[in-house]
Amino acid sequence: MTRRVLGVDLGSTTAKAVVVDEAGAILASSTVAMGAVSRAGMHRCIDEAVGRAGIEVGDVSGTISTGYGRKLVPGIQRSYTEITCHARGVAAMVPGVRLIVDIGGQDSKAITVDKDGLVVDFAMNDRCASGTGRFYEVLARAIEIELPELGPLAMRGSQDLEVSSMCATFAETEIVSLMAQDMRVEDIASSVHRAIAGRTLALVAQVGRRTPVVMTGGVARNPAAVHFLSRALDHEVLVPEQPQISGAYGAALLAMESFLRTSPPVPDVPGADFIFPRVDHTAAGHSCAGCDGHLRGKVELGAAIPLRSS
Amino acid sequence: MTTTTTTTPARDQTNRLTMTRTGSKMIADYWEDLFVARENGKKIVWYNGGALNPMFQAAGLAWCHGEAFAARLAAQQLEGPAQLAGAEYGYNSELCSYSRTHLGCAVLTVQGSDDPQTGVVGLHDRVDLASKLPSPDFFVNNYAGCSTGQQWDEVSFRIFGKDLPIFNISHPFLWGNKPDAGYLRGEEWDSASQYVRGQLVELIDFMETQTGEPFDYDKLNESMTYIKRAAELRQEGLELCKAKPAPATFWDWIACIAPINFLPGDQALVDYFQGVKDEIQHRVDNGISGIENEKYRLYFDGIMNWNKLGFLSRRFAEHGAAVLAGRYIQNAFWQEPQLIDTSDPLLGMAQHYLLCPTNHGSKTLDYLTLKDTADYDIDGLVFHATRTCRAFTGPQRLLAKSARDNLGVPSIFFEGDVADASFYKDEILESRLVAMLEAIDVARERGDHKVAGSGAEVAWPS
Repeated sequence: MTRRVLGVDLGSTTAKAVVVDEAGAILASSTVAMGAVSRAGMHRCIDEAVGRAGIEVGDVSGTISTGYGRKLVPGIQRSYTEITCHARGVAAMVPGVRLIVDIGGQDSKAITVDKDGLVVDFAMNDRCASGTGRFYEVLARAIEIELPELGPLAMRGSQDLEVSSMCATFAETEIVSLMAQDMRVEDIASSVHRAIAGRTLALVAQVGRRTPVVMTGGVARNPAAVHFLSRALDHEVLVPEQPQISGAYGAALLAMESFLRTSPPVPDVPGADFIFPRVDHTAAGHSCAGCDGHLRGKVELGAAIPLRSS
Repeated sequence: MTTTTTTTPARDQTNRLTMTRTGSKMIADYWEDLFVARENGKKIVWYNGGALNPMFQAAGLAWCHGEAFAARLAAQQLEGPAQLAGAEYGYNSELCSYSRTHLGCAVLTVQGSDDPQTGVVGLHDRVDLASKLPSPDFFVNNYAGCSTGQQWDEVSFRIFGKDLPIFNISHPFLWGNKPDAGYLRGEEWDSASQYVRGQLVELIDFMETQTGEPFDYDKLNESMTYIKRAAELRQEGLELCKAKPAPATFWDWIACIAPINFLPGDQALVDYFQGVKDEIQHRVDNGISGIENEKYRLYFDGIMNWNKLGFLSRRFAEHGAAVLAGRYIQNAFWQEPQLIDTSDPLLGMAQHYLLCPTNHGSKTLDYLTLKDTADYDIDGLVFHATRTCRAFTGPQRLLAKSARDNLGVPSIFFEGDVADASFYKDEILESRLVAMLEAIDVARERGDHKVAGSGAEVAWPS
């Protein structure tokens, strides 16, 4: 029977879910914009992804979650931070990647990875929403346009108005001030994008600039954000086809790897699809990967529990 | 996403030293004695920076260490009124929260002499505590490596009307980059040591003028003999914590700072550190660890976030992370007791004042950090980017890079503060900590975590 596993990224403003098969191929995905870390949004997102994969939730062999709301996702094997999952997902999407810039709704990250796609170093924004998707929302609201219109508008700007604020709230004040000076909205938009790229560059400096560079997160769908980051880095910035789902995809890949690592061959037990071997958790060489750390005490070696998968 | 909410960690998985309770009682008694020192006929000195208390003890004074009182208020979550008083006086939240708290105490102490109800927000008991410090008879500043610290007592001097004597000790910064320089060696070290020693001699003259009494050199030698022994026991206890699993953690040693930093040099101090060491030895002998299920060994760089001491100890233990070493413990507080000649302790004292962890150039900090990282077989470094202490925070990026490049040990940063809880965001620490532990797990599975393990030789940087 083909296994399908689920990765769920419950972020600050969107829920993302990805279903993959045993080969790690994406069968289906879903992205749902929602209120902050919304349970309802998460359930809708999971249902959509599973439905698009043509299966039921009960058919899912394993789930790993990530994102700020990762502890809220039901039925998970374990959760991982966004750092680990984004690195894993992007490395699969863009083999050879060395630097990942992920800008989400409320945070931004710079992650360096090694040749195997494993995290070498990372840095995240501190204190505030500076340089995050929230910053773009503030801009769009201030100049009274819809978010998807922001990038094309900024690409038409030419004059650098030197927006300096690090704080999204104060930036709004600065934007309003520029509008009161009758500056062109295109220039205001491009200047804000340039300022955010500068903030991102400071984040990249903490981990070291590497190439190839991949940008992910919802902001990567904004062509101006990618353009100004590319100019700031003085290097091409690659964007995966679905930049928002890289964390959920990474979670799904980790779920599948964990499942394959911990699942022995299907035993010859009538009615059983697989077994969970019992092991001594103090045994030398025992790997805790895939364990949430709550298992305690000794259990006898050699025993096994036959389980049906459905 | 940032949030000011701090979630309560899961079940407490720490196993704190029981001797901590003995230390807490000693410290509480010390402050109670200080609050009534004036009534007991003592002259009182306010000071900051290095541990001058044996000098004051020998001069028959009562002493108040400003940082220590600010830390105590913060550790008891009682710092608010003092900080608001400091803000009312004109100091904003970007000023060192130790000094902001203590200067607020000074304001409240001055106000308290004629209007005890002039609190800020009506939290009378807290205001009362913050204003309990007895007014000083004079000030001494002994701050190394921090420009705010060096001006701190000058400001207290002004709050008290510029009427009280003040003595400032100047400390050369130890750059450590001359050809013969190194830790505790070289011409820079020797000349700086003699320079500060000379000022201690002048301080003795100053104190004799203030007290009207001849300085008791025998009493100083006696006090420093006790302090040296206590410091040796502390070092022996720290050495024992290299065991696996570690019998005690950085947080236990944080709780031992106050006794070594400002309690009188006497038999009680020695007994306390003997008790600490004995308890740790007992744990080593019986395989008792400082946290349950030690899985990771971490280094903590930064001054303590006093508002969060208990919380952070539980937060790290919850992840199986034993925090074992840090610049604020291994590299501070009479950490080189062999330098102290108990028959003539002034030079060794001067040298310890220079050894303040904010008074070194990056080469020395790099050397000390890498050495402790190797000696304690550290898996990862956690940098507390102390918001209002830039002197401590300045070199942290260099240290993180060096640990990565030289030892293959990863780092994370989180922001907090020494005495202002508003700068701490739990989600930021939690997400970074867990991400680093995950990366360590993966690296271990691949067998390439760390290029140097326990006991690796760390050379002076070229």
